[in-house]
Amino acid sequence: MQKKVYFYATCLGTAAMQTTVLNSIKLLRSAGVEVIFKKDQTCCGQPSYNTGYFKDTKKIALFNAELFSEDLPVVIPSGSCGGMMSHDYLELFKNDSNYEKIKNFSSRVIELSQYLEKIGFSIEDKGEPIKVTWHTNCHAFRVQKSIEANKNLLKKLKNVELVELKYEEECCGFGGTFSVKEPEISNAMAIAKVNDIVNSGAKIILSADGGCLLNIKGTIDKMGLDIKCYHLYDFLVSRMEGVSL
Amino acid sequence: MKNHSELIRTKLSDKQMRENVSNAMHTLQNNRKKLVDAKFNDWDGLRAKAKKAKNNALFTLKDRILEFEKNATKNGMQVHFANSKEDACEIIYQLMIEKNIKKVLKQKSMATEEIGLNHYLENKGLKAVETDLGELILQLGGEAPVHIVVPAIHKNRYEIGELFAEKLGASKENEPEKLNAIARKHLRNQFESLEMGISGANFAISKAGAIWLIENEGNGRMCTTAPDIHVSVCGIEKLVETFSDAATTDTLLTPSATGQFIPAYNNIITGPRKEGELDGPKEMHIILFNNHRTNILSHEDYYEALRCIRCGACMNFCPVYDKIGGHSYDAVYPGPIGEVISPQLFGMDKHGDIVTLCSLCGRCSEVCPVCIPLDSMIRKLRRDKVGEGGDNAPLGANELEHSKLESYGFEKFASLATSPKVWRTAMGNASKFNWLLQSLGTSLPVLKNWANYKKLPNLKGNLYDELKTLEGVKYE
Ligand code: SF4
Repeated sequence: MQKKVYFYATCLGTAAMQTTVLNSIKLLRSAGVEVIFKKDQTCCGQPSYNTGYFKDTKKIALFNAELFSEDLPVVIPSGSCGGMMSHDYLELFKNDSNYEKIKNFSSRVIELSQYLEKIGFSIEDKGEPIKVTWHTNCHAFRVQKSIEANKNLLKKLKNVELVELKYEEECCGFGGTFSVKEPEISNAMAIAKVNDIVNSGAKIILSADGGCLLNIKGTIDKMGLDIKCYHLYDFLVSRMEGVSL
Repeated sequence: MKNHSELIRTKLSDKQMRENVSNAMHTLQNNRKKLVDAKFNDWDGLRAKAKKAKNNALFTLKDRILEFEKNATKNGMQVHFANSKEDACEIIYQLMIEKNIKKVLKQKSMATEEIGLNHYLENKGLKAVETDLGELILQLGGEAPVHIVVPAIHKNRYEIGELFAEKLGASKENEPEKLNAIARKHLRNQFESLEMGISGANFAISKAGAIWLIENEGNGRMCTTAPDIHVSVCGIEKLVETFSDAATTDTLLTPSATGQFIPAYNNIITGPRKEGELDGPKEMHIILFNNHRTNILSHEDYYEALRCIRCGACMNFCPVYDKIGGHSYDAVYPGPIGEVISPQLFGMDKHGDIVTLCSLCGRCSEVCPVCIPLDSMIRKLRRDKVGEGGDNAPLGANELEHSKLESYGFEKFASLATSPKVWRTAMGNASKFNWLLQSLGTSLPVLKNWANYKKLPNLKGNLYDELKTLEGVKYE
């Protein structure tokens, strides 16, 4: 696998989770990977796609395919946006004259853990013994299929004990615009997820998806619970550097 | 159509219903998983085979229908065709009038729910009595099924005990055995006057001219063998070519539905009572009905929905369904498959509202035994709902009003996401608006829906400034 990549920050990463973006790049750099950050990058188009605005989404997809034109992996710290660009774009452009162009781009999209796994990334755990639990993002799990790689990274940490959630495969209710269109149902789902987390006994919940994390953290804070939420890549860097989060 | 948000809110606040449904769904999920792990070597291979069998029948549907008609007729069945749901009801009504029958007994069948048979007959002064335990409970309570396999799963045994006491004059019980005994006694009286039995069909086998019914209680067998006349109501998508095709699909059905390896009863019916036989109906009718299925079949984005074998696994695994229950969909078919077919069978103008009841988590497609890509179909229905479906949009889509505000919003979003400089200015300054976000978050129209239930995140920093300073990163 090439050790020169495009990095895709995602819209959420740019607006609200800059630390996670910087930590993700830090991980790549620690593995000696050369990173290109296209300053013109924007969003994968998932919000409009999932709401049914396919024409608008196509414009965004073509914009991305043109921007990341060199034959390099497009590494992305989110299985959800990854799944959108590597898989859903193909569905969106089925029977479209731009299909080949999109396919070329899509085939290069890879989630960060999957990429790190491919280049044989290793990590030394300098942190204190700790117990964590894990939230699986649906789109990452079923479309980009990057959850296994996420967890494999966690398993490399000798002082980290991972307890699985009982209903791990259940959606947290974020679903992008779903949480805005059906806020009451979304909230009921988020509460069910938080209860599952509470029942796991872990005080830390990790995930490799920004949207789910905002959703879960927002709910935990509203409920006033003492549970911390971290993005996988922030957590990994803290373990690598031996600092507590 | 009921007020969508009000209905959802009411159902979400029904704690008892939510507890009943959620517990039941988790049990069904567990049962299925345990069984598939323990008993099947190649579950996915079987799914692929079933998909092929069902597709084969759908791609050659006209031939299958003609073949079925020929062979079933040869076997002594009378085959009727109905285009609309009213046509299908009318055929049954006419049969009843002709034979002077006032009351029919029914096996559980979603097809008869779809055509609205009970109401149709009731309006004509005739009666259809449900014999399935779940359906009986619903009929007594005047409710619609909450699920396509376990129709009264939203009620617990205490609630059922009260209903039986109130409607059947039974003593108040809550143990399953005692409740069963009450129902059995009640139904036995009904069976005594049986003249016509109505059933659905799980499969109609064209080469053999036979139908296949599965059930767990045995009442279906009573309905189809004890009376003089048996009528089966069957959507045209239930056709498969061979017994082997039906067997492949049947092997997936019960495990997906309830986690049982096989159902308690497999009934294969090849026609009415023949000379010298001791039981079975003297007359047998089968009504093959369309109700917009051919429209679905002709649509490249939706035809796959016709593979559905009504196992209910998609709803058993749906994280939305288990919070709101089946009645929230206000449609004959609830859950993920309901979201896909209800708008198409009954009109987007009547049922288009339910396509928002999905977070697109994809779990339904993952468990569907015949590999129907439900989540991606729901997304496409949203496309058709906002008016991008083109000429081929489903029934009633042209009647819909579109939100100008929403489409303008996404047009703006697309233009922002393809204008890098404007995007950078907006995103780079996001943190400067943090105070605004925190103070106005609960009143801005879109954010409001989010902030009512969650604390908003704190925005800080400017990614672009930081990136420029990083060593080993080419910022270009
Ligand atoms: S769509 Fe699939 S999972 Fe849902 S009821 Fe039909 S066959 Fe079963």
